[in-house]
Amino acid sequence: MRFFKTYFLPRIIIYFLVIVVGVTIVFIIPRLLPIDPIQQMIGQITSTGAYLDPKTLNYMIETLKELYGLKGTLWEQYWGFWRRLLRGDFGPSYYQFPVPVISLIRQSLPWTLGLLLTTTVVSWILGNVLGALGGYFPQKSWAKILDVISMVIRPMPYYVLALSLLLLFAYLIPIFPLGGGFLIGGKISFDLRSILILLKHAFLPAMSLILIGVFLWFQAMKLVVQSVKNEDFVSYARLGGLSQSKIVSRYVMRNAMLPQITGLALSLGQIFSGALITEIVFSYPGLGTLLYNAIFTGDYNLLMGIMTMSIFVITTSILVIDLLYPIFDPRVRYR
Amino acid sequence: MKTLIEVKKIKAYYVLEIFGRQRTVRAVDGVSLDVLEGSVHGIAGESGCGKTTLLKVLFAAVEPPLRMVDGKVYYLNGTGAIDLYAIDESERKKLRWSFASYVPQGSMSVLNPVLKIKDTFRDFISSHLKGRSKIEAYEMAKEHLKELGLPFKILDAYPHQLSGGMRQRVTIALATVLKPKVIIADEPTTALDVVTQRGVIQLLKDIQSRQGSALVLVTHDMGVHANISDMLSVMYAGKIIEEGRTEELFEDPRHPYTQYLIKSLPRFGDRSKRESPPGSPPSLFNLPEGCAFHPRCPFKMTRCEKEEPVIFNVGESHKVACWLAEG
Repeated sequence: MRFFKTYFLPRIIIYFLVIVVGVTIVFIIPRLLPIDPIQQMIGQITSTGAYLDPKTLNYMIETLKELYGLKGTLWEQYWGFWRRLLRGDFGPSYYQFPVPVISLIRQSLPWTLGLLLTTTVVSWILGNVLGALGGYFPQKSWAKILDVISMVIRPMPYYVLALSLLLLFAYLIPIFPLGGGFLIGGKISFDLRSILILLKHAFLPAMSLILIGVFLWFQAMKLVVQSVKNEDFVSYARLGGLSQSKIVSRYVMRNAMLPQITGLALSLGQIFSGALITEIVFSYPGLGTLLYNAIFTGDYNLLMGIMTMSIFVITTSILVIDLLYPIFDPRVRYR
Repeated sequence: MKTLIEVKKIKAYYVLEIFGRQRTVRAVDGVSLDVLEGSVHGIAGESGCGKTTLLKVLFAAVEPPLRMVDGKVYYLNGTGAIDLYAIDESERKKLRWSFASYVPQGSMSVLNPVLKIKDTFRDFISSHLKGRSKIEAYEMAKEHLKELGLPFKILDAYPHQLSGGMRQRVTIALATVLKPKVIIADEPTTALDVVTQRGVIQLLKDIQSRQGSALVLVTHDMGVHANISDMLSVMYAGKIIEEGRTEELFEDPRHPYTQYLIKSLPRFGDRSKRESPPGSPPSLFNLPEGCAFHPRCPFKMTRCEKEEPVIFNVGESHKVACWLAEG
């Protein structure tokens, strides 16, 4: 019970507070954009040559305002926004009128989730294991080779890496497709052939993300390990004749992992804003492109939909890690 | 009494390279020592005189920048003398904890913060006794703690949940769980208050007398030495300057430095001011010529500035390195 009152409750309250503040900011920011979506829509219609008389035009503006939740004062818009949000309704998208925002997100989300969840987790595990070993045995030749590779890859701009991968493995040695998430016009079903095609399309984007991610985690973990391995309890375990593998896994890594767990939670949360450059370079479907288009077309509803979801997921993953953290570090207690 | 550890004229230097210039810190410079079975061998001396380095050499925990320059350390485990620096690391590993174990300085941070005490015990036990199951190791640790009169409930605690004194006791228990022949303790009482100090020292003494092992105890606290040490070596600037049975040394200290150390102890009823040796300890990097103590010595003679004193036997087991003892 004390756990509930002193550990759980404050965190839950902060959790909801962050969501409310975040969603409010999401509501305000698109309204500060210098793009008026309704004018843009009307412009689109008139540019096709259609003639609208002023009365119809006014009527149309009113309808659009209502549809987009832009009617009334800012305050009324805000309440309306919350009401619809709680029903899971973000309204229709502007630039792909009249498809509802929620179904646009539903289309892109599986691609982003599939790509980013795997690459984040894989590069976290790989980078941490390599970093721990590289930090503990810095004199070994493989550790030095890893160091050099990470020094080359880490500062490289991501799009350069992604483009060179694409050039190398899709154009010069065409083993992987140039782009796309699946065969054009193909239907995805749950058989082996479909899954193989999916994997083949996802390979290069995933590879580019993993390469960058692994060496990012590698360097961070290596630094932490190098300081942990000089701690008294590690040298004492070494004096006590404990085996090398036990010292690395139970004494060094268990302790060095703690900040990395927090890092994982943060990067898991970022998944939901998508990976824009990856999606553009590999013309891979996903939330990044959706968000990008939403910003450039002034698509309030879509923008707010994606950002609200991203806020929700980031705060939730931080809350979950916060609640689980005492399992990894006993010094953090459920006071 | 059998000799367990024999130290012959060891020299261990810290070799540092600063801006391309090599500097040598002579932390231990020609020390010989015998550790006898069933005895408490005290090593006294002020900070920075090489006490901890000597222990590192005894325990074969020599890592750069520390280097063994000369001398030999023998472990005598009943079957013969083992030259500690001639065998390879895996064999040394076997000797640790089973023959000699180490209670480190400042045991606040020697326990892994994310493991329960029982897991640390299990790691140390299973590294030396192969094929012990988790439960066997736990029982062994529990039995050992019970023997020492410590609450075995602490096995389920994490290090940060224990007080400083309890952590020090746990470390001592951890070092002695395999009943080693020699326990090497480096300032086990620093950072503890006087009451806890007494308990910790008593615990070490109890273990030593129950297991019949030898205890090498380093502390600068002469009061502790007076209480439990059988033999006492006084170190100054990397050398042992006086050695003997503790009572003999306290009754008749021959080296001026030892005299200062003993005179500094408070006594009941004596309200006179305690005098300390003038000046401060020399830097081990730049030692004075001749006797290292001569700049601070009130009985300095001209030869002290030039010639290093040799060791004189002044009693049955009482040795001193001072020209005053000559003739």
